[in-house]
Amino acid sequence: MVYITGVGLVNVDRHYDKSVRKLAFEASVAALDSSMAESIDFIVVASSLSYLQEPQLDLASYIASSMGLRGVRSIAVESGEASGLAAVMTAKSLVDSGLASRVLVVGVDKLSDHPSWRVYRNLSMLYDSESDAFYSIGLGGVAGLLMRLYMDVYKVDRQTLAYWPALMHSNAKANPYAMLRFAITPEKVLEAPPVAEPLTLLDTFPLGDGAAAIVVEGRAGGGAIAEIVAVESSTGFQSIALSDDPLKIESLETAYRRLVERVDVKDVDVVELHDSFTITGILELETLRLAERGKAAEAVAQGNFSIGGEGPVVNPSGGLKARGHPIGATGVYQVAEIALQLSGEFPGLRVEGARGGLAVAVNAMGSSSYVAYLKAVR
Amino acid sequence: MDWWSPARVWRSRVYRYRLIAGRCKSCGRAHYPPANACPYCGSRGLDNVELPRVGRILSYSIVYTTPFEDKDKSPVILGLIDLGVTRLVAEIVDVKPEDVKMGDRVEAVFRRISVDGGTGLIVYGIKFRPVRMG
Ligand SMILES: [Zn+2]
Repeated sequence: MVYITGVGLVNVDRHYDKSVRKLAFEASVAALDSSMAESIDFIVVASSLSYLQEPQLDLASYIASSMGLRGVRSIAVESGEASGLAAVMTAKSLVDSGLASRVLVVGVDKLSDHPSWRVYRNLSMLYDSESDAFYSIGLGGVAGLLMRLYMDVYKVDRQTLAYWPALMHSNAKANPYAMLRFAITPEKVLEAPPVAEPLTLLDTFPLGDGAAAIVVEGRAGGGAIAEIVAVESSTGFQSIALSDDPLKIESLETAYRRLVERVDVKDVDVVELHDSFTITGILELETLRLAERGKAAEAVAQGNFSIGGEGPVVNPSGGLKARGHPIGATGVYQVAEIALQLSGEFPGLRVEGARGGLAVAVNAMGSSSYVAYLKAVR
Repeated sequence: MDWWSPARVWRSRVYRYRLIAGRCKSCGRAHYPPANACPYCGSRGLDNVELPRVGRILSYSIVYTTPFEDKDKSPVILGLIDLGVTRLVAEIVDVKPEDVKMGDRVEAVFRRISVDGGTGLIVYGIKFRPVRMG
């Protein structure tokens, strides 16, 4: 069994005065302090844009050295937007296998160090360089294609799809680690500047910096915050063009099926999913069968997935949309947030009595997907 | 952009200049660009097939967040194009954004994709434009 014994979060923001190493350090120190760990065997670093933007290779060892972790074992995990959950999976495997007894996972990325056009260009590299990203897909081009397809196939109007960002902003208000802590109306989403029509600037995540860390170990002891029961994953098609059914995220469907076949997934009271765009969040709700196909946007508009609404509470953190999406760090934020929900310590919107939770990560529109299931230890 | 290399552009010339797809000898399905194995069934037995040059717009997006080097052509119209035997994502040109409609027929045209500011390398490839009626 693998437990989380400490978490550390840096608020997602434009940290002009802090480097990648400094952000990773702050999150790690907070996680190590809260776990009261005397030492760690291994550090797993999740990052994506750092390799292009610092630029820095072998990031894990440089981060470890800069923290004074002399001689620690280290490994870096880069799986695009899914890097964070891939790193958590790696850490769990290290503990499960007995190679390590205590692992520090830290996710970090900076999106505000460079002009936004360069960040958008780099983010387009999350997509397949041999197909979609050969063209100027920008930040949200492929998401824009899927959003219009969704509206056309299911006869859903743009207004209905604007309730998701509004819910995310409403959730983020209470989260001290969220970047956008203000309410917006669905009307505001429609009025925002277009990014990739039909999606607007308020359908996507803000460009913020962040770092999140967790301490993972095999012994529960007194300090366990939550149990990581399992992490599953799958790869998917290199482009939405190859999928017969692009409105279903096949890699996520496969990852989730593997998860429920492997462990008893029950009492899921809270979910942190990967809403890089409004449409991604909507398709994930449907792929996870939390809503019928073509009905998730309407369900959100009717108040489902909010505190007190029908279904599990989804993205009480504010999600990628409002908490923010420091690419490689996001999955670690999600797992930390779920753990804090399960221990009743999340400092934002709290899901009282939450027993189980899922964290979901998807790179691009499904080149790979990861899903983690966590259980309360109370 | 500064990520193109002459070697990389040269290697992809066959399927970038003509619409050459991979076709699986086992399951019969086509995919573009050609991969090393069938993305559907995993078979390594593939041959090449030239795709139809006319298809229809399954979806489109008007993209404003284009890279700095492509600012002069912003916004870019991106399409999910259905060619019958397979689909692909590509730019749509020679049409105003407000005139694009779902289901419109488009045809492949050979166009400039990008000019590399660093090396001066000009990258060409296939885009799509509306099929003129009559
Ligand atoms: Zn095949």
